[in-house]
Amino acid sequence: MTAVDMAVTMGALALKNPVMTASGTFGYAAEFADVCDVGALGGVVTKGISLQPRAGNPVPRICETAAGMLNSIGLANVGLEAFAADKMPYLRSCGAAVVVNFFGETESEYVECAARLSEIPGVAALEMNISCPNVHKGGIEFGRDPQAAGRLVRECVAAARVPVWVKLTPNVTDVVALAGACLESGAGGLSLINTLRGMAIDARTRRPRLATKFGGLSGPAIKPVALRMVFEVHRAFPDAPISAIGGLQSGEDAAEFMLAGATTLQVGTQNFVEPDAAVRVLRELRDFCAAGGVTRVLDLRGALQA
Amino acid sequence: MNFIDAGVVAREDLAPGYFILRLGGCEALAGALPGQFVMVRGDWGRDPLLPRAISLLEARPDGMAAILVKTVGRGTALLSRATAGARLRVLGPLGTAFPAPDAARQDLLIAGGSGVPPVYLQAARAAAAGRADRVEVFLGGRTAQDLPYATGLERLGVSLHLTTDDGSRGQRGLVTAALERRLDEVGGRPRLMACGPDPMLHAVARIARLRELPCLVSLEAAMACGLGACLGCAVPARSRPFVYVCQDGPVFDAAEVYQ
Ligand SMILES: Cc1cc2nc3c(=O)[nH]c(=O)nc-3n(C[C@H](O)[C@H](O)[C@H](O)COP(=O)(O)OP(=O)(O)OC[C@H]3O[C@@H](n4cnc5c(N)ncnc54)[C@H](O)[C@@H]3O)c2cc1C
Ligand SMILES: Cc1cc2nc3c(=O)[nH]c(=O)nc-3n(C[C@H](O)[C@H](O)[C@H](O)COP(=O)(O)O)c2cc1C
Ligand code: FES
Repeated sequence: MTAVDMAVTMGALALKNPVMTASGTFGYAAEFADVCDVGALGGVVTKGISLQPRAGNPVPRICETAAGMLNSIGLANVGLEAFAADKMPYLRSCGAAVVVNFFGETESEYVECAARLSEIPGVAALEMNISCPNVHKGGIEFGRDPQAAGRLVRECVAAARVPVWVKLTPNVTDVVALAGACLESGAGGLSLINTLRGMAIDARTRRPRLATKFGGLSGPAIKPVALRMVFEVHRAFPDAPISAIGGLQSGEDAAEFMLAGATTLQVGTQNFVEPDAAVRVLRELRDFCAAGGVTRVLDLRGALQA
Repeated sequence: MNFIDAGVVAREDLAPGYFILRLGGCEALAGALPGQFVMVRGDWGRDPLLPRAISLLEARPDGMAAILVKTVGRGTALLSRATAGARLRVLGPLGTAFPAPDAARQDLLIAGGSGVPPVYLQAARAAAAGRADRVEVFLGGRTAQDLPYATGLERLGVSLHLTTDDGSRGQRGLVTAALERRLDEVGGRPRLMACGPDPMLHAVARIARLRELPCLVSLEAAMACGLGACLGCAVPARSRPFVYVCQDGPVFDAAEVYQ
């Protein structure tokens, strides 16, 4: 079989391979160290970090759905200071590039969080979760309004010393408009997609299965939606570095996302199914390339015949 | 903790709805403690997606392990159809355990339904340490059919109190009533350790609180990862807003999780 060059560059960031883990599905990586060769991965994206620790939403917070799951964890996290002190030492030494996902409840929280996280040694890039409700605007998500998102991204990019990727929500009519606003504002990459808003009901008890009624749908069930959005954004902005997320389970899924235009790939819910899933996806992607005579994994990027 | 490719060696059907799977290739689980669990999944495609949390009934140094399962939904139904030779992916051992038996104290272990495994393993640990006389087991169910693995418990040679709601086996009534009667007799300050349905744990925790006895409960919650990563298995707690069943538990001080 042919040797395959797996290296990619996501904007300004060079990675040894395109396979990463998705925010909130791989904790702070140390949780998986016993059972997953974390250092083999191109990168890990951490649980979403905020300035202050957050306890998260009332329970139940998760429920399984057809080929997927709903969650309403409520962005529970240890907070920036404990993250830097307790979680970074492992991450810094794990061998994968560290991308820190973050969010705030106000614009100034976002900006301060971006600035402070980017100063932590060992942080390669930030990933902004703009799906967080804006408490000052009656709970409307920043990520649904291209203008608000663009302004917020511009401020965070200016405040941060490392590339800032923006993670887009699929819960919008026009993801391309949002992507454009983020790119214009200096986003170093686009991560898509976050979870799809959904609901599950227990007919026997006549109650919602999640305490918050609605939650975010993830897993193989959402892959077609993610593929479509990656393709739409790539078609509109062929140069934009895209990190694809959504139902990724196999090396072939990874190849599909790259053909649609992705540069990097994030394995999410599948980490719960098998804690070494991302390493298997990487191996399968390499084998897929080798078997097809693809010598550089990046040759797959955007190579969809359409 | 390990991620193992285990093989089903045998399935033993217990009373209707309950079965034991004996697994080979589980050397890495040896030494697992009572209360610890595994995340289990068969090779059954994309749906159901998530692995299921199941306590260990046994984990021997020769690589033989066992789980006792109650069929409640799709995942457990798929497990109930596993036959010898089937492969399962097993992540574990996970979580916290009941404390070691103590020569100086009496432990009263209370189980219901699929809560038997931690209690069985704890009683087996006491028996193996020559302290069978320091533990008593209370197993309750609705009918004689709902006392899974009573025979296994009997074999351990520990004192066993069986109760059924309908009196079809053992004493008639709730397991907690039998527990209270026994507590009135034994006096002293025995430790209570319980695993089973939430209402039973709640009642045991209440008894412990009123009598000021130390009490440990092994909880269940819906889980995705079992590793402390998804933060899905949260339970409201006393000392902080939430504890996580897979990591801080499943065994908790009852006062931490039941008010
Ligand atoms: C630490 C721990 C140890 C466990 N040990 C055992 C064991 O030794 N033997 C055993 O039979 N079961 C055990 N369970 C419970 C077991 O995980 C669930 O019964 C199982 O996940 C149900 O899967 P299912 O696909 O059959 O049901 P589903 O189709 O997922 O659900 C069927 C019903 O079960 C409920 N349910 C789903 N998951 C759970 C859960 N984790 N806890 C409680 N209710 C749930 C659902 O709300 C629903 O009403 C344990 C759970 C935990 C958290
Ligand atoms: C339990 C859980 C927690 C998540 N937490 C976050 C988070 O903190 N920040 C974020 O941007 N995305 C979070 N996500 C979204 C994932 O990173 C990912 O975008 C989504 O799950 C889709 O990918 P998947 O289908 O491969 O899981 C979370 C997802 C799950 C299932
Ligand atoms: S099951 Fe994922 S954190 Fe406990």
